[in-house]
Amino acid sequence: MKTNAQTRAPKILILATLSGGYRGADAAGQSQLEYAPDTYILPVMSAAMFPESFYWRAFERGVDGIIVMYSGTDSPYKGAPEKTAEIINRTYERMKERGLDTQRLRLAAICTVCVRPFLKEIRQMNEVLDEIGLVPSSLPPAREAQAEPG
Amino acid sequence: MPDTTGEPVPAEKGQVQPQSASPDEEPRIGVYVCHCGDNIGDVVDCEQTAEALGKLGNVVVSRSYIFMCSDPGQKLITDDIKEKGVNRVVVGACSMFLHEQTFRQAVSRAGLNPYLYYHIGLREQDSWVHHECPEEATEKAIRLMSAGVAKARLMRPLEPVRLEAAKHALVIGGGVAGLRAALDMARRGLKVTLVEKTHFLGGRTAQWEHVFPTDEDARTLLRGLIEKVLAEPNITIHTGAEVVAAKGYVGDFQIRIRQQPRGVSDDFEAVEQAIAACPVEVPDEFDYGLTTRKAIYRPYEECTPAGVVIDWEHCTRCEKCLEFSNNGGIRLDDAPHEFEINVGAMVVATGFRPYEPPQGELGYGEFPEVITLPQLERILASDGPTGGRLEWNGHPIRNLAMIHCVGSRQIEGVHKPQPDGNVNDYCSRVCCTATLSAANQIREYFPDVNIFDVYEDIRTYGRGHEDYYLQASENRITFLRYVAEETPEGVKAQKGDQQPRLGRVKDHLTWGEEIELPVDLVVLAVGVMPSPVDDLVVVFKISPGHDRFLLEVHPKLRPVETAVTGIVLAGAAQGPMNIQESCAAAGAAASKVEGLLSQGRVELEPYVAQVDPERCQGTGECVRVCPQEDAIHLETFSVSGREVQRAVVTPANCNGCGVCVSACPNRAIDVQGWRLDDYEAMVDALTAEIPALEGVV
Amino acid sequence: MSDNRLDVDTLVVGGGIAGMQASLDLADQGYQVALVERDPSIGGKMIGLSKVFPTLDCCSCITTPKMAAVAHHDNIPLLTYSEVESVASNKNGFVAQVLRKPRYVQEEDCTGCRSCELVCPIDLPDDENEFGRTSHRVIYVPFTTAVPQTALIDLDHCIYCGKCIKACPPDAIDFTQQPEHLEIEAKTIVLATGYEVTPYDAKKEYGAGKLGNVIDALMMERLLAPTGPYGRVLRPSDGKQPDSIAYVQCAGSRDLTLGVSYCSRVCCMYAIKQAMLLSGALPMADITIYYMDIRTFGKGYEQFYQNAKTMGIEFVKGKVARITEDENQNPVVRVELIDENSRVAERTHDLVVLSVGMLPGWNPQATFGVPVAEAGFIQIPDCNVSPTVTTQPGIYATGTAAGPMDIVDTIMTAGAAAAEAAAYMQNHKEQEPAVPEAAPAMRDKRSTVHA
Repeated sequence: MKTNAQTRAPKILILATLSGGYRGADAAGQSQLEYAPDTYILPVMSAAMFPESFYWRAFERGVDGIIVMYSGTDSPYKGAPEKTAEIINRTYERMKERGLDTQRLRLAAICTVCVRPFLKEIRQMNEVLDEIGLVPSSLPPAREAQAEPG
Repeated sequence: MPDTTGEPVPAEKGQVQPQSASPDEEPRIGVYVCHCGDNIGDVVDCEQTAEALGKLGNVVVSRSYIFMCSDPGQKLITDDIKEKGVNRVVVGACSMFLHEQTFRQAVSRAGLNPYLYYHIGLREQDSWVHHECPEEATEKAIRLMSAGVAKARLMRPLEPVRLEAAKHALVIGGGVAGLRAALDMARRGLKVTLVEKTHFLGGRTAQWEHVFPTDEDARTLLRGLIEKVLAEPNITIHTGAEVVAAKGYVGDFQIRIRQQPRGVSDDFEAVEQAIAACPVEVPDEFDYGLTTRKAIYRPYEECTPAGVVIDWEHCTRCEKCLEFSNNGGIRLDDAPHEFEINVGAMVVATGFRPYEPPQGELGYGEFPEVITLPQLERILASDGPTGGRLEWNGHPIRNLAMIHCVGSRQIEGVHKPQPDGNVNDYCSRVCCTATLSAANQIREYFPDVNIFDVYEDIRTYGRGHEDYYLQASENRITFLRYVAEETPEGVKAQKGDQQPRLGRVKDHLTWGEEIELPVDLVVLAVGVMPSPVDDLVVVFKISPGHDRFLLEVHPKLRPVETAVTGIVLAGAAQGPMNIQESCAAAGAAASKVEGLLSQGRVELEPYVAQVDPERCQGTGECVRVCPQEDAIHLETFSVSGREVQRAVVTPANCNGCGVCVSACPNRAIDVQGWRLDDYEAMVDALTAEIPALEGVV
Repeated sequence: MSDNRLDVDTLVVGGGIAGMQASLDLADQGYQVALVERDPSIGGKMIGLSKVFPTLDCCSCITTPKMAAVAHHDNIPLLTYSEVESVASNKNGFVAQVLRKPRYVQEEDCTGCRSCELVCPIDLPDDENEFGRTSHRVIYVPFTTAVPQTALIDLDHCIYCGKCIKACPPDAIDFTQQPEHLEIEAKTIVLATGYEVTPYDAKKEYGAGKLGNVIDALMMERLLAPTGPYGRVLRPSDGKQPDSIAYVQCAGSRDLTLGVSYCSRVCCMYAIKQAMLLSGALPMADITIYYMDIRTFGKGYEQFYQNAKTMGIEFVKGKVARITEDENQNPVVRVELIDENSRVAERTHDLVVLSVGMLPGWNPQATFGVPVAEAGFIQIPDCNVSPTVTTQPGIYATGTAAGPMDIVDTIMTAGAAAAEAAAYMQNHKEQEPAVPEAAPAMRDKRSTVHA
């Protein structure tokens, strides 16, 4: 676990679907609209593949906020958006149990041309993080349902 | 039961075994930072980025270059693979949607598995959005690329899913675009099934009589095209038919089609009597509501297929027509017929509909003398309601105003939105030339008619189109120019005045003067809107754009393909197009389908679920949560003499949604190419204190 | 490829975006395509542009992958710096005589390392790519992203000092190279010979090319391109950064004094695109576009125009009658301001850009027997239904060879030409009696209609 200097900017991780948020991010780029640089976008086929433990692990590593930009009703994957929402809700429960502000995790439907909503999500997350501060440098240990082999 | 080694060996169609990776091979990573001219290089310090990445473990070469996508740029990579033994490649450049394929092909040429490549979009997601802070942008580039390096360390070679492809294409829509695409594909040797929703072929072109820029007769044009299509033994046509369900993937789509019965047999003779006997009268869509027709009707004279049909929506089953139905010539109890076909790819050519102005727009719907350009075309047509005479409500027309851009180039806040809340902010492309063509035609046949042409910009852009504008000026058509914010208004005729007026045209050609035009007929050059395709959007999972026309992958690189491999667009379903443009687009669509299917097989991305048999405990969670049909199931295997259950994936039916990944309690299943381990390693890299960053920020 | 004969399915003439796309569309279907390009590199006009409308994608980013795909496609033998001299018909189709011009550099050996450029003592203005604004050596690789990356020597200006011979690592330089002749047999031909722009000195009312600060849009395109001559926008006469830039639309189109009645289709959009890029590069500059009609008719184009208006670009309706210059070489535009009571005004700018139009590139009549129609573009008899079919069976036209069009429309017609050529060849194959799968019975059949 790395210690995070208090002076650093909040670090935001975005999981963005290739059919939605990732293209929305590209569209924001094509419009050359500025947003906070400490924002790291990883492309995903569908966010339904990430178990709760993934989010918890990311917070432990020093990610201050996570935005899951899924495709919502536009998803090409039947059943995946519902599953994503279910996992995020379960993760909220766990965050509450352990006293981690649930505002650090957001689920947002972002389409391929959703430039403004894309920017708004980032702005709002930055505002939240400005208010609640960086992620604590030590989190209560996650109850790993699945032991990680190896 | 399969073999006894514990390694499932499926061998059914559509199943592939991932090529055994060489996990022991030490990753030797090549990192390449593209300047993209100055697009990235102006903001991100590419040299510094490359230098920083070069310090990471397993990175054997790290370079920056002005255009990585260019031939010399690609050569840097292929040379490093051959000469420096690079076996994983990470490029930071523009969006992956532009160039991931380019670089995959490049590494493949150098003998490396194309999936040992990872692409980072430094342009759209870094330099273009962080102009203001180049230092942070450089740090971000380094972090993003170090995440790429982290993933690269874990990447394994993958093989595409190879599928047999049916050499059979579906065309949806029987207008010029659909007909043309069907013809092109059939002539190339593909089997083609064409479905048309209405009961006749030809689409909107059939409703036109005179078409630009050739001044040819639209019916002759259509007849020629339809004759060629009918002469092709490879083509099967279903009219009155639409797609109701679809599943599958490129190479093997299963399409369910529902066809409405015609209700009238081909050899039925007492057609005119039956029509006369029908008591139902509904607006005739062929004449854009200018006339009415019966519930048993002939769409138009000489339509293909010929003959009359029953309009089931409006038929009351009163059976008056049956009086003339000897031996079942008319069958009112015929039911729709559903059937399924298998195709390898499809062309969506669903065309357009004219914009329908809301009640009151420029007096439309309030004053009968305000009509649309498609309606005027029907009036001018020799088989139209007036037999081609320019008259309205029995009166000959003497003064006529034509208004451009009705339902096009709309401005939010100025124009009334559509029921879905959108305004048509696009140019409809075809209306300027169509309007001037009609105006010239009127001046030629009815030289006493005065014409006022009220426009914003005249857009006679195409080859031969400008001549219509020049000719209109020679024909003494009076041009008035308005601006969008000051749209002309239709006003009621004054008392005792036989003519309505087109009121309050603020004419910018004559010093912004407000003019009232005394005219007998106001013609609105209405815009082009996509045919309703909400059902197809759902069935095929294709997307409409902002303008609600169907969206292409990239307007320049891949202008006829959709995001779904195997589904391509042709004609006005994609955006306003004239006949010529629709036919060209249809040819381009046909070329794409031929490229996909002509080899009889297609290759799909290998991003499908893969079970690790070592970890799988046969809980069946994945099978339970999988939303796809037949994508994963449990099989019994014999491992060291013990019978166990293990999950087995059918790659052709797996779409890689990953629902099984998060559900597996043993972390035994992953989507190839996008594994959970990869993401965790990337998050670690993004959050790590990167030694490479020292001295940079 | 044997030494002087090549047998292919289709001969594509012209290596711009139209020819590249038609080649790729045919090659992807398994046809063998010989692509013949007159210039030393493929890429055509498009590779010289800065960004493309309406997406503002960097043009190199769109073009270079197509160039690379063509260069690497197994089914496409690429012949650059080559010209089709004559074409004859035979029973299988066509036999073309192709001249391979000498580069004086062995194509197989040159690695494009440019060591020769470094030692060559002679600089020449580079007319083709930089419009005279930059220079290249007598031995040179055409441009950074050229395909192939092969040097060539401009022998007319060479002083035979021999420095390049000594400097070339793979010994690729060969002054004894002679023009070579290649015979290409092909079943079909696709003409993608492109366009030229209105000569920038064509119109005497606009200064006939003599005004220092009146340039044409292609020059501006190079000024704006990342690979451009100065790396920023400066006006030519004194290198000053312009604060006021005007575009004169229809400078070569819809102008009967130049004998051009047609609209060139792309000028409104490229002017708006350049204006947008300029307002990014020079945020303080005033940008004016003088126009007759704004013709933003393509998908997403009208929205692009409206965005430009929102960005503060000034659109003035009026036909520019004349351009002169003041004592500081500032161009003075005389224009009837239609929206201001048709007042005639003279407005001074720092730089004026002529939105020049498209002219036919090359007349294929003599070589291919394909006639041109009005205005010199290839005649397309059944242009509505068969927009790429020429009067000659087996010969198709794509892109601007058949009239002005933008890149999207060009790519569409390239696909259409490929479909026509493929269908023609399939039909040809079926008619050959030797092919058993011809299934003659099928010929009598018709399509099946389920009404």
